[in-house]
Amino acid sequence: MLEPLFGNKNIEKIFFFLIINKKCYGTQLSRIFDQALSPFQNSLDRLESGGILVSFLEGRVRNYQFNPRYPFLKELLKLIEKAYQFLPEELKHEYYEHRERRRPRKKGKPL
Amino acid sequence: MKEPINFKNITIKELASVIAAKFEEHEIDSVLVGGACVSIYSKNRYESYDLDYVTHEDMKKIVPALKELNFQKKGKYFVHPECPYFIDFVSPPVAIGDEPVEEFEEFPTSLGHIKMLSPTDSIKDRLASYYYWGDSESLQQAIDIYSEVSQKINLDELKRWSKKEKFSNKYKAFLKGIGQL
Repeated sequence: MLEPLFGNKNIEKIFFFLIINKKCYGTQLSRIFDQALSPFQNSLDRLESGGILVSFLEGRVRNYQFNPRYPFLKELLKLIEKAYQFLPEELKHEYYEHRERRRPRKKGKPL
Repeated sequence: MKEPINFKNITIKELASVIAAKFEEHEIDSVLVGGACVSIYSKNRYESYDLDYVTHEDMKKIVPALKELNFQKKGKYFVHPECPYFIDFVSPPVAIGDEPVEEFEEFPTSLGHIKMLSPTDSIKDRLASYYYWGDSESLQQAIDIYSEVSQKINLDELKRWSKKEKFSNKYKAFLKGIGQL
């Protein structure tokens, strides 16, 4: 939907993912979308260089999130949120909203 | 005869003025932002090793200008074989929060002027990192700037901006740090 604007389908995926999940990392996106890692990593780098995302090292994982200091963030989020509403429900559930477990689970406990 | 520049022992302020003069020679308009401004205003209470510039110019114009100073692009940054500092270019515009910055400091040096964030905007820039990410080092850097150039700081403006950013509570930590609370 926003690919013609961003010139890249992965950017749209990253933005949709971030408005729902707040943060992401390269291998996570690669796994969820079942695509190669490097295009996602390149897109994340590009967005970070442009000041739209910032990253933090958490353990060994580099997590990305929207940069609250990006001067057009409010307007960008509005656009992404609007576009997300137009996404088919099955895609929302498959890629963006089914998310991994977030509540605690004791180490070693069987699934 | 002009002395060669000693890049090994150059200070960040000297390097910023050398770069400013080189950019002027090449008609490159840029603004120094970030940690280098803190170093300059705080007289190195905080020592930054990167010089962040914001420019609307094309890299094609910048690369040859910096090459004349022997700074070469390595990955995302420009580095010099002897100089401890590196140069980075941050995406425009110059903004703090969602407000554009329109007035800059023309910091005088022996080589000309360094166009950079004003001391008040430099404090805002640091406070923004403290407000959004709770970075206490940034709060300390804001206090360090104030300690050195308090007469140039507009506290009313900082108060207004902090309120607009919805961080009036955190602004109190800055006021406490500078002994105004």
